[in-house]
Amino acid sequence: MTGIASGGPLSRAVRGSLRTVAIVILMCFVLFPVLWLLTTSISARINMFKIPPVLFSRPTAENFAYIFRQMPVLMWTRNSLIISAGTMLLSLVIGVPAGYAFSRVRFAGKRALLMGILLTRAVPTIVIIMPFRIIMKGFGILGTQLAVILIDTVYNAAFTFWLLSGTFESIPLDIEEAAWIDGCTPVQTFYRIAIPLSKPGLVTAALFAFIFSWNDFLFAMSLTSPNSATLPIGMLSTYGILQQGWTYMAAMGIVAIVPVVILSLLLQKYYVSGLTFGGVK
Amino acid sequence: MASKPIYIMKRKNRSLLWFLVPISLYLLIFFLYPMAYDIYIGFFDYKLGGQALYVGIKNYASLLKDSQYLGSLITTLIYVTFAVLVEAVLGMVIALLLDRESRAMNLVRTVILVPTVFTPLVAGLVWKALYHPDLGMVTYYLRAIGLNIGRGLTVERSSALLSVMIVDIWEWTPLVVIVLLSGLKGLPTEPYEAAALDGASALRTFFQITLPLLRPTVVVALLIRTLDALKVFDTIWAITGGGPGTSTTVANLRIYEVGMQNLKIGYAASLSNVLLILGIVVGVLFVQSLFREKEAQA
Repeated sequence: MTGIASGGPLSRAVRGSLRTVAIVILMCFVLFPVLWLLTTSISARINMFKIPPVLFSRPTAENFAYIFRQMPVLMWTRNSLIISAGTMLLSLVIGVPAGYAFSRVRFAGKRALLMGILLTRAVPTIVIIMPFRIIMKGFGILGTQLAVILIDTVYNAAFTFWLLSGTFESIPLDIEEAAWIDGCTPVQTFYRIAIPLSKPGLVTAALFAFIFSWNDFLFAMSLTSPNSATLPIGMLSTYGILQQGWTYMAAMGIVAIVPVVILSLLLQKYYVSGLTFGGVK
Repeated sequence: MASKPIYIMKRKNRSLLWFLVPISLYLLIFFLYPMAYDIYIGFFDYKLGGQALYVGIKNYASLLKDSQYLGSLITTLIYVTFAVLVEAVLGMVIALLLDRESRAMNLVRTVILVPTVFTPLVAGLVWKALYHPDLGMVTYYLRAIGLNIGRGLTVERSSALLSVMIVDIWEWTPLVVIVLLSGLKGLPTEPYEAAALDGASALRTFFQITLPLLRPTVVVALLIRTLDALKVFDTIWAITGGGPGTSTTVANLRIYEVGMQNLKIGYAASLSNVLLILGIVVGVLFVQSLFREKEAQA
């Protein structure tokens, strides 16, 4: 598709270089904060107070050494991992079979159910957070990782469900019919035939559940205690030492974003598919 | 639609309906119940730790006179409208720029994914440092090119909201680009060949062919962004905390203050229910457009 490229008064060469300039400007805007975070995390504290500001300086590991020595970074990381992995598992466990049933059975009220499940995405997070806190307190699990897993799963199970029902629909029915004629029950057909054929959808759903929980701040802030705090909560506390420059904060930021940036780039195809709400197969 | 094989019709298949039970129960307990509680407690005067007193619609009557809340709703509307519109226009321009196959373009398409996966709180703190009134790099260079930004973008009431919207635009324009690129890929080529034969200008081709054909995708992108922008909290919390004054206090921040800090649970619930209605209206539109998009693909 090169819809915009044909015709017009500008010559091809001029248009080409304009395009290049535009893309370079775009890349600068996109990458500048990322680059700043990266270089600041390995910069000596004193550089933060220089005017004009410096982006590059002699690299040092002292910020990382400091945060790992002075702050419970490993505990925050562990909590982030527990919450993200827990959300991922729980979302798959309840979302995937539901997506399968949805793609294979016709029943009354199907569209209404789908509408209801998808609307979870529309409910402002602030609406649910206060009652959820009170309910978690009633269960006696306020302040634990489990409380955050439970609420993150509300938002992710719906997405998993939608994504997987689409994936299952694209599996040709003849394959499953053959299995069925061979004597598989519908449930066996599900885990012997449909699941192995749905890897892309499963990876996308797992990836998104993980990233969602990893990046969450509001739920974690409202439901965790210091012992179950996640990386974003920990990072917020490093901004408190602003007077000492931002280098510690930047090091914390790197610890917080590197796992998800790497995951999304490694699994780029799946990540893009999820971003477009299953639109790109 | 192709005729459905008998498989689906078999009664035995109904056993699969059990698969819907866990998710339904889960959402009932952890989603519908909290929401129902929210709607219920919105009719009470209830401060955490105190007695809940039924007051009917009094909370809703007072929110109509609550200038701080109404102000935060207006701030939300400005934030959502402006950020989403800029993201849509910018997203469209960038998608058209990137819509060609080459190695460089693939790299660019990969790189622009990074802001979308950035932990929003981290993004907020990074930009907060960049905007720092004395030491921030953005502040320095804006002044260096002669821009009068007063005491700093995030410090002046007139520019604080703009500064947090810029972060939204940084983080989420790439999402719009990716969604639109996937839409552009699916467009038929014939209309363009016809337009080229007619000698139509690039602009005319865009407005008369590309935009109408891409409309469903644009609508999905706009609605996803609107829904998520309505939820904005982390970045503003990190950058300005709602200030200076209340200039960046969107409704989510105000509700958080009332509920979690002042512990006025009943009143906060009524405030959040107004937002809930807004979310559901946009959400229904979103789901419907998602259905249409899916049916168009089938």
